[in-house]
Amino acid sequence: MLNCDQYLMPETLEEALAQWAGAPEGSRLLAGGTDILPWAREGRAGHVHLPVIIDISRVKELRGYDVADGRVRLGANVVFQQFLTDDELRHHLPCMPHCSIWFADDQIREQATLAGNIVNASPAADGVPPVFAMNGTVEIARLEGGSIVRRSVSSRDFITGPGRTILEAGEIVTAVTCDSMAGYGGAFEKVGQRRSLVISVVCAVCLVKLSADDKTFADVRLSLGGISPVPVRLDAAEASLKGQPVSRESVLAAVKTAGDLVRSRTRREYRGEVVRGFIERAIEDALADYGVALSPPEMKEAALANT
Amino acid sequence: MPTLDMEVTVNGRDVKRRATTQMRLLDFLRNELNLTGTKEGCGAGECGTCSVFVDGKLVKSCLMPAAKANGAEIETVEGLAKRGELTYLQRAFHKTGASQCGYCIPGMVMAATGALRENPHAGFDEIKERLGGNICRCTGYSKIFEAVELARDAMNGSLPTTALEGPGAGDSFIGNNVRRLDAPSKVTGALKYAGDMVMPGMLHMQVLRSPVAYALIKSIDISEAEAMPGVECVITADDVPGEDGFGVFVHDQPIMARGRVRYVGEAVAAVAAEDVETAMAALGKIKVEYENLPAVFDPEVAMAPGAPVLHDYAPGNIVKHIPIRKGDVEEGFAEADLVVEEDYGTQAVEHAYLEPEAGLAYVDPDGVVTVVSPSQNITHHRHMLAKIIDQPINKVRFIMSPVGGGFGGKEDMIYQGMLALAAMKSGQPVRLVFTREESIVSTAKRHPARITYKMGLKNDGRITAVEFRMVADGGAYGLSTEGVMRKAAILSCGPYDIANVKIDTYGVYTNNTPSGAFRTFGAMQAQFATESHLDICAGKLGLDPFEIRRINMMRSGALTHTKQKLGSVSLGLALDAAEKASNWESGPADVRGSSRSDLGKAGNREPCTLGSRIRASDGAGGKKDVA
Repeated sequence: MLNCDQYLMPETLEEALAQWAGAPEGSRLLAGGTDILPWAREGRAGHVHLPVIIDISRVKELRGYDVADGRVRLGANVVFQQFLTDDELRHHLPCMPHCSIWFADDQIREQATLAGNIVNASPAADGVPPVFAMNGTVEIARLEGGSIVRRSVSSRDFITGPGRTILEAGEIVTAVTCDSMAGYGGAFEKVGQRRSLVISVVCAVCLVKLSADDKTFADVRLSLGGISPVPVRLDAAEASLKGQPVSRESVLAAVKTAGDLVRSRTRREYRGEVVRGFIERAIEDALADYGVALSPPEMKEAALANT
Repeated sequence: MPTLDMEVTVNGRDVKRRATTQMRLLDFLRNELNLTGTKEGCGAGECGTCSVFVDGKLVKSCLMPAAKANGAEIETVEGLAKRGELTYLQRAFHKTGASQCGYCIPGMVMAATGALRENPHAGFDEIKERLGGNICRCTGYSKIFEAVELARDAMNGSLPTTALEGPGAGDSFIGNNVRRLDAPSKVTGALKYAGDMVMPGMLHMQVLRSPVAYALIKSIDISEAEAMPGVECVITADDVPGEDGFGVFVHDQPIMARGRVRYVGEAVAAVAAEDVETAMAALGKIKVEYENLPAVFDPEVAMAPGAPVLHDYAPGNIVKHIPIRKGDVEEGFAEADLVVEEDYGTQAVEHAYLEPEAGLAYVDPDGVVTVVSPSQNITHHRHMLAKIIDQPINKVRFIMSPVGGGFGGKEDMIYQGMLALAAMKSGQPVRLVFTREESIVSTAKRHPARITYKMGLKNDGRITAVEFRMVADGGAYGLSTEGVMRKAAILSCGPYDIANVKIDTYGVYTNNTPSGAFRTFGAMQAQFATESHLDICAGKLGLDPFEIRRINMMRSGALTHTKQKLGSVSLGLALDAAEKASNWESGPADVRGSSRSDLGKAGNREPCTLGSRIRASDGAGGKKDVA
């Protein structure tokens, strides 16, 4: 059970920052709150009594999103369901509908925020690999001498380990800003024990853009979750695909060593094996989303034999 | 306890109430507003039984602190239709028989309502995905999806509303669809399960459970817990006035641990207090001194000489051994061309009914001890409890509340005795509602089994003999183990005509969670071994798996392994139908043709996908056109 002495619902960022800065040790900040209640149960944290819970879901400045200069700035209160229902977000972030549909279920997507998913910093977080792939930055605010001070860090630097981030006392994540990927094909893959509402064993995201004649890869973004303390961006595989012809051989060559990235505590060998086929499928699905089919599956075994 | 003032609109009415900061929206709706149509199945956002609309968005109310919903407009299952009426969806659920135990149904109706509000033209796949956050354990979902499609079509006018009316039974119940009488109460959330029931002056029970697998209880000190304000009584095995012991076959389990604990999660003491929080706090004040004993977790080890003995009456730790002998297996193996031996193992399985165990007990003005609970075996419970509390049978009453899924898991009287004792000791009604965690840790599981299989066959596929040995982990107490062993033995070699069989099933005590009744009652474990073994043998003999079964199947007039003569046997028809329906690619089980011909046809299982709503809105073209 989760209890607290005070449950605060600030309506402005300044109010939230002041409350958070003044909150006693052990207080918690939440947005959707979908992780904290299951955490405060028998077998995990058990009965938890917090001094203060600050619920930022009604802070106006953290709602909504803006698109400017090729970047999409997502307020910290943007929930996963919006990536499925908002046409403009779907246009600019074509991998996010696929990520969202695999994330929890319709009910939880209505509450759970992308920013919260990043702050939780779970190695298996579904929201983190896409943000890595889209060159996401995390915007952070704090109060200094009564005024709001902001800083931005790359999402890859923001998360430092399982459940660990660079957030300091009194700081609140206010937004996540990503590249607009309009025109890319997007895909998200996930392996878990069931389809809805499951924690990823491995998840992968891919975004692709081809040359004007559809013959070569112009840009590829790849990122993996669930295989290491922090999700990883596949810089080497991305670089090796750029300029290569769109073919099964190029894809298999690029993902050949991806299994080496696996640094999980458990089932390392299994994950290593899954990861290769998995990234291959992510690229294939992103290409399909782009409107281009990779060579048919029958040719896959022949292509495999050549690598 | 810290409080806050809630002002919300619930089902169109303004509500002002004081809540505690600890309450989830689920608790606020159920405990403060008595809107018990919103159920708690897991408390962790997994099952969807608590789904409600908050400001028009479907959410899980167990994941929302009540404070978070302050000021919001809330809609629960009770608010979907006017009293006495049903929505199209509720009528469709009634029509297709989508409600069985009914416990998931209010949440399912809410999720379905949300799905059709979001997309009134949602296709089958999208409906399925939108209900993905809701679990049902009875229906297999088919009838639920069928109901949502029916309601969708009726709402869109592509079907007349008369399609929602069910046909009557006609002149006969046989061969006609019969509408479930209890469906309206389930689809509206009106039906009260035990955990929904309240009585004036009702106390709340919490149970102290053993953290160790096997130990002597040196002492239990309840004095500090008893002295806490708000605590009405604390009970232990010492409060049992009669002959303590229950079980479906052997009465080997005390109401609460007596002198020894035998598994992690066994009840040791229980507190009845004015609220759950006080009862829970009191558990922390009970001091139990344990002296660990060497425990045994493997049934084969438990059967070996020198193993720790769990129950004095059973020095070899055997709950039940069922032997069956027919013909002469040695002769059968001698005439075989091929003898195949394999081992098979199955694991413990939790029933995971959506309704966690709950019960309410009181002593009525005439001194009748009354227990209301979703018991699957009330008459037997009544007889056992009478002995345990040393009362004549007419002073003990069991009322069966709606069972929110049982599957065998609610046959055991594991908490009703504690409720009765607390009601007797306190003189007040007492209610206990398990958490999901408590349900999983303390209640019976399907027997994990290890099966050694030896089968002799002729080259033409005829089985000449079977030796079947199953060792099942019964866990710490007997529960239904005896019956499960009996059925496993009877059905062990499947529906196959075998002249020579030697069958032994053993249910064994260990310090694991007790095993008990679970759908199939022992047959699943045996069938898993038998059918797997037949496939392996078919592969070795170069036979098609269907063929080896047809060669050996019992036919009308056959004698079963226990020598019962069968009048008519329809196995051949079932095999023909299964072969046809599965687009079976004929050939031995371990050989594949050059190309697969059994996939991608109508009726075959589709691969697992998600995202039908994305595909539907993308249209035919890819993203290129958008850019």
